[in-house]
Amino acid sequence: MQPDPTLIAKTLAEAGVEASFEEVRALGYVVRIAPESVRAAIGALKDCSRSFDFLVDLFGIDTGEAIDVVYHVRSFGDDAELHVKAEHAYDSVLTSVWDILPAALMAERECAEMFGLKLAGHPNPKHLLLTEGSQPLLRKSIEIRTAEEVRNR
Amino acid sequence: MSDPRDIVKHSGWIAADVPTEPVTLPAVLVEPPCGVKELMTENLVVNMGPQHPSTHGVLRLLLELDGEQIVRGEAVVGYLHRGIEKLAEHRRYNAVGTLMDRGDYVSGIMNELAFALAAEKVGEIEVPRRASWLRVMMSEINRLASHLVWYGTMGLDAGAMGQFLYAVRDRENLLDILEDVSGQRMMFNYVRPGGVVNDITTTAEAKLRTFLKTIDGYMEEHSALLGGNEIFQGRMRGVGIVTKEMAVAFGITGANLRASGLSFDVRRDRPYAAYDEMHFDIPVASEGDCYARYLVRMEEMRQSIRIIRQCLDGMPEGDHMGKIAKVFRPPAGEAYAAVESPRGELGVYLVSDGTDSPYRMRYRPPALYALQLGEAMLPGLLIADAVVSLGSLDFVLGEIDR
Amino acid sequence: MALDRLTGENSVLFIRSEQLFDWARRHSLWYMAFGIACCAIEGLMHASGPRFDFDRHGVFFRASPRQADVMIVAGTVNHKMAETVKRLYDQMPEPKWVVAMGACASTGGPFREYPNVIMGVDKVVPVDVYIPGCPPRPESVQYGFLRLMDKIKAQTGERLAARSDSHS
Repeated sequence: MQPDPTLIAKTLAEAGVEASFEEVRALGYVVRIAPESVRAAIGALKDCSRSFDFLVDLFGIDTGEAIDVVYHVRSFGDDAELHVKAEHAYDSVLTSVWDILPAALMAERECAEMFGLKLAGHPNPKHLLLTEGSQPLLRKSIEIRTAEEVRNR
Repeated sequence: MSDPRDIVKHSGWIAADVPTEPVTLPAVLVEPPCGVKELMTENLVVNMGPQHPSTHGVLRLLLELDGEQIVRGEAVVGYLHRGIEKLAEHRRYNAVGTLMDRGDYVSGIMNELAFALAAEKVGEIEVPRRASWLRVMMSEINRLASHLVWYGTMGLDAGAMGQFLYAVRDRENLLDILEDVSGQRMMFNYVRPGGVVNDITTTAEAKLRTFLKTIDGYMEEHSALLGGNEIFQGRMRGVGIVTKEMAVAFGITGANLRASGLSFDVRRDRPYAAYDEMHFDIPVASEGDCYARYLVRMEEMRQSIRIIRQCLDGMPEGDHMGKIAKVFRPPAGEAYAAVESPRGELGVYLVSDGTDSPYRMRYRPPALYALQLGEAMLPGLLIADAVVSLGSLDFVLGEIDR
Repeated sequence: MALDRLTGENSVLFIRSEQLFDWARRHSLWYMAFGIACCAIEGLMHASGPRFDFDRHGVFFRASPRQADVMIVAGTVNHKMAETVKRLYDQMPEPKWVVAMGACASTGGPFREYPNVIMGVDKVVPVDVYIPGCPPRPESVQYGFLRLMDKIKAQTGERLAARSDSHS
């Protein structure tokens, strides 16, 4: 369940990725990296001896100051899970990792459209769920309809 | 003779020279019907869906076809996107279950359970043992009902109709039981953070016991009706093969992953509720084709029945709802909880900021990841095989789009 | 209403052709197999299943909109879907009816606050019968269809009455 933190630290250091580790209550290990080193980090984790080659999920969290993009990876060999977080500024570029983990194809598109990020290096960077030109609906600044609007539909 | 090409014989036929005398045109014609000079072939782009009986909902496929073979395919989703993740940020913890139900609408109990587990993890609440057992039992009843939908529609995709009616017959009985316990046929809102809403009723227990008496025979019937059909086997065997590497690369979970030879089941490898007290087998197949997925799911149904029997016989005494505040405010934190839904690993990543509604709720849709694989599988398949392959992956569009 | 029971054997029936057609239409309401969301499982799958058996009312599913009389809007309609719903409605031949099944199709249901969701399919196509519930039970759908039959009958009556008024 819990990964070996020394191994991950070593793997990331060898790949030249600056990472900070924290153990979050009820969640486990979280690795925080810069958005520029996402590809290097995900690639290194995939190629390490305890290959984290299974992308469980990829999604964003609007923290109020920036978008935290979370890469939740799993290693079947080690039976371990890891959350890799990269803080992206609003309207910045989300670099695709689809060639490393093909599972990211659709999740990246969703993350980009829902939080208003630009998608780079993706073979099909269209919107996934919303029509083109929609607002990034999962941002905290986008309000849902009020009770008044709903009543006077 | 204006158009001397053969009509009946194929073009390679060598015929005697056709006399080329000028013909007098009939009065109704202004020019001889020469026909098309030469046959051109080009790829055809066909739109399938969102209204199409074999897409299991509002999936839209754009297919580039060469004859009957797919050259390229793209899955277009989002026709059912209704903001479950966004609306959960504006609902109290007890009310998020209503949204979760409507996500993957054929397995509502599992969706609620995933959210409840995440909320309990972040709020550090203990759940009474009886509640855990009830959660397991209702999950398995729901899994059976969900797999029956898949069984019925899978046959429809392969061109069979009869098994659909048999599947609905059994599903009605299961929905009766679920309705008796939770009050609704589909949108249960049964599992809440802290426990379950209702204890099992005596009538529901009686119904369940009657159902369990007949289901073994019915399962044999189901297997014989569809799996024993030679045409069905011919349509399924060797079609839509997914290797283990492909499955892992595309993030496939659940029965689809196990049909490709990787034995990972959240119920066994990340036990939740009372699954660590249950005895059940995890069916695994190595072929990775549609028929393997069919066999794995059928065996899963049998294992579900086994678990329901254990729950019914060994149900511990006690309370069905833990001590939990009316307005539940978990401390700030993050948690990830996953359940094994009929479609795979259904996870909920919950961020709490200490208020009475979640700060962010991420719903991991197992079917979205399966759809990616389905999309990648399309090139090279025939249209009819594509329908079967996508059907065997078991999508629910409500879950893909959320 | 079985015609021979009404008229007896070897009898001749005088009926306005319009009434005859509407009587026939009323009892063969073929709906389009177009499930959007959760309601499709209840209203389309279970309703046509062995227990509820819609076929006995002549209510049967057709895969193509060109062959359908009724569109059951079974689920939430969002901005991406609305265009398709409109197009499917336009593809159906006259006379056609729309049943808004469930809370989502009627008002937006539990998702009405989300900006991407349309608050009721009646903003896209005209609706004849609204069925409440989330999701409605198959019996409710059945009742909705019986009400639709009543409505068709009443509409014919109104049309005929209006015509006889104009003649006099």
